[in-house]
This record gives sequence, C-alpha cells and structure tokens, in this order.
Amino acid sequence: MTYLIASSCLDVKDRACVDECPVDCIYEGKRMLYIHPDECVDCGACEPVCPVEAIFYEDDVPTDDADFTRINAEFFTTIGSPGGASGTNVADHDHPDIARRPAIQGASA
Amino acid sequence: MTIPTTIDLPVPSFRSGTELVPTRDQPQTGKDFTSDQEVRWCPGCGDYAVLKAVQGFLPDLGLRRENIVFVSGIGCSSRFPYYLDTYGMHSIHGRAPAIATGLATAREDLSVWVVTGDGDALSIGGNHLIHALRRNVNITILLFNNRIYGLTKGQYSPTSEVGKVTKSTPMGSLDHPFNPVSLALGAEGTFVARTIDSDRKHLTSVLAAAAAHRGTSLVEIYQNCPIFNDGAFDAIKDNDTKHDAIIPLVHGEQIRFGAPGEDGLGTKAVVRDEHGVRVVEAADVDPAQILVHDEKAEDPELAFSLSRLTSAGYLHQTPIGIFRNVDRPTYDDQARAQVADAVAKVQGSPEERLAALIGAGDTWTVESTRHQDDPESGGSR
Repeated sequence: MTYLIASSCLDVKDRACVDECPVDCIYEGKRMLYIHPDECVDCGACEPVCPVEAIFYEDDVPTDDADFTRINAEFFTTIGSPGGASGTNVADHDHPDIARRPAIQGASA
Repeated sequence: MTIPTTIDLPVPSFRSGTELVPTRDQPQTGKDFTSDQEVRWCPGCGDYAVLKAVQGFLPDLGLRRENIVFVSGIGCSSRFPYYLDTYGMHSIHGRAPAIATGLATAREDLSVWVVTGDGDALSIGGNHLIHALRRNVNITILLFNNRIYGLTKGQYSPTSEVGKVTKSTPMGSLDHPFNPVSLALGAEGTFVARTIDSDRKHLTSVLAAAAAHRGTSLVEIYQNCPIFNDGAFDAIKDNDTKHDAIIPLVHGEQIRFGAPGEDGLGTKAVVRDEHGVRVVEAADVDPAQILVHDEKAEDPELAFSLSRLTSAGYLHQTPIGIFRNVDRPTYDDQARAQVADAVAKVQGSPEERLAALIGAGDTWTVESTRHQDDPESGGSR
C-alpha cells in the first residue's frame, strides 16, 4: 500500500508535503508532485498538511481520481528508486496522462 | 563439601545466525510479511520507515515465516509484532530479551528478534538487556531510540539529553543519558551497530549483518518522534548538515567524513589520540595516521572510543555503522550442547536413575534437639 497524489495538485505544487515526508519520497514533476510507491512508508504525515487535499491513501482514492494510483507509480518507471527526492533534480516532465491535461486556470494553494 | 571448579567448555564451531533455521520453500515478497492489522502510529513516525525496511528485508533473509519470531516489550515501537505476518509476542515491559533468550535456547530452528525502545530497553529493561548481551544469546535486538517516552506522551527517557525540558522535567532533565552503543560494548556485546530510520539502504545492510551474526546483535536505530521529540535527529538527516554529522564506519576503510574534498573523500578524519580517538581535518594529518575501521578487533577498546564521538547533548555528530562484530560461543548453542551431552550419558531405567539420585550420598538427617522442659529451645510454640 502507499499514499498517492491526485488531481488537486495539478498546477498547484504547494510542496508542504515535501517538507513533512520523513523519508523524502515525494518527487517533483513539471506540473504536480508524485509519491514514490516503493519508498513511501505509509506514515500519513503528508496527507493532513496538503492545503488542497490532494493526498489519499491508496484505498481511499475518490473514483474520479482512480487513475492516479497508476500515474504516481508509472512516473517512476524511468527514474527507478533513487532513495530520496532531495538528491535528484526536479523532473522537467510529467506522466504523459498529466502532461496532456489542459492548464488549470488560477490554480494555487 | 565439593570445591567448585572451572572446566573448559567445548567450543562450538561458529555458524551464521540463521544456519539452523529452515529456509523458505517458495519466493517471498514484502507483502508476505505484512499483516492485516491497521498500523497505528502517529503520522510521520519513524517506526513506519523501520517497519517498511524490515518488511522489505525479511524476504531477502530467505527463512520460513513460521520460523521467525518478533518479541517486543512495551512502548510505541513494541507494537511492531502486530504488523508483521510472522510469529510474535507483545510481551512484558523490559522483559523481551528474557523471553527471547528462552525461545532461542529452546528452539534452535527459530530466528528470534527483539523490538524495543530506549525506555523499554534502557529503563525498566536495563538488566535484561545487558545480561542478554553478555550471554551472547543468538537473538537480534532492534533498539528504537527516539530519546523520549512517546507512548506515555512525552516524558524524558534514559537517552534524553541533560537539560531537556519535558512534562516530567519542567526545569530540565538532570539525568546523564546513556549512549546505547557504549552500554552494549561495556556489556560485552559481540555485535553492536547503529543506523537511522530514514536511511533504508543503510538500515537494511545493518539488519542483514545483524541477522548473519551468531550471538546477540544490538542495532540501535535513531528514530524520529514527530510528536514529542521532533527534530532530535535533524542534524544527521538535513542535507546541509549530515555530511558533518554522520561519521560512517565501514570495515577496512579509513574513517573519513564531512563534505567531500578534492580526493572525493570527506575533509574530516578520525585519528588515534593519546586516550581514545579524535576528529581532525584530514588535510592536517599524514594520511597513514587516519584510523582504519576494524569491526573484527577482539579488544572492544577501539569500538568504545568510536562510540564516544557521539554528542551527549543535542545530536550534532555521531558514528553510524557496525562498531563491533566478533565471534564468541553463544549461550543457546552451549546450553543445548550441555543438555545433549548429559542426555547421552544417561544409563538405566528412569526408576533406577531416580533411586540412584536419591541415594547419591551427601545426605543428612535432621534430629530434634528440642526438650519440652527447656524454655530456651522454643518449647512447643
């Protein structure tokens, strides 16, 4: 099991969760943040600090955001498991399903 | 009167910590070691990271799940056995090492682990911990050190720094803290290591070495309590400070740390001092002077000196890795050998043996010296 970041993060990227994560498993894409499903330890620290309530436990993802379990996991297929986001660069891309979504006007935390 | 004598005990051949434990008959994954229980620690607790690392490591250990036992005491970390799909026991406060000692001695086919915290192991369980270590029972002890009492909501623990203000020390703690690694080395521990909850790679490598060691392995795990002692280990976790805070110990390698210099190694080094060891700028000393870590050294003096490099107050510097890893006969191997030896020498039927035991001599008769007329003897009161 893992936590994951869903659609509300798109074009927001508040990053409060990044500071909170004790194992540094939240990685930054171009338009949203992603949780590494293998590095996440299920501690739940990120979920309450998200100002837009974008973070869900895998079992509790709303139906509309059901794709995001897959999207979070697939984002790491090329990156692998670096073992910590702070040592890696911000990705200049997103998951293809995210990249093709239209920009959210006025999105902010 | 028989005069006590000391005899030389047979020395068993040294084996791996898990050699007598049956291996798995099918592949395992972390999921196989995840129970159906909802994990109940506070959000952000370091215990989650340790749990995940252990669940990820156990498949690599390659043992049957039904031959693995996790015994815990009392405290936040002691909820651990519920969340692992192995055998386990949430036992008595501070007594997990005693229960694990019995289990490891009675059942050579089990891989026995103890999960404990700084309160459980070092306060109420201090005696059990040191005696398990000196006996060298084949168990692995994971000591979660968050330097606070979490379960009881934030009182100072035996590893809290002097002056720490908590609910039970409103004017600052007067107690000098234990350094668990120093304590374990002083208690004749044969395998003593320290690692960090959030460094899964290092934690996993230490777990593997601890499990492979036959004897009592003590692994101190620095574990952040985000509710009652948040930030206690920030210096060793923050990317800006961790190079100067963590002194990595790697067997056979020079002890260098700090931001990498021109040679790619740390700019600080550990050298021998007149008494113990000290930290110097690597550029200021002859490279041949820099200490090479030897976890196999029979004399624990070097390991102890290294353990003293840990800050006593707020943690701004500490060695991480395996301090000591030496072979010594284990209590459980030798106890089983003694029982087997005694059983092999048995002759005769049970009745004959009982009669022989009763008539073995060294007996005496208690005769009454009491006289009814003599009040000094106590009479018939």
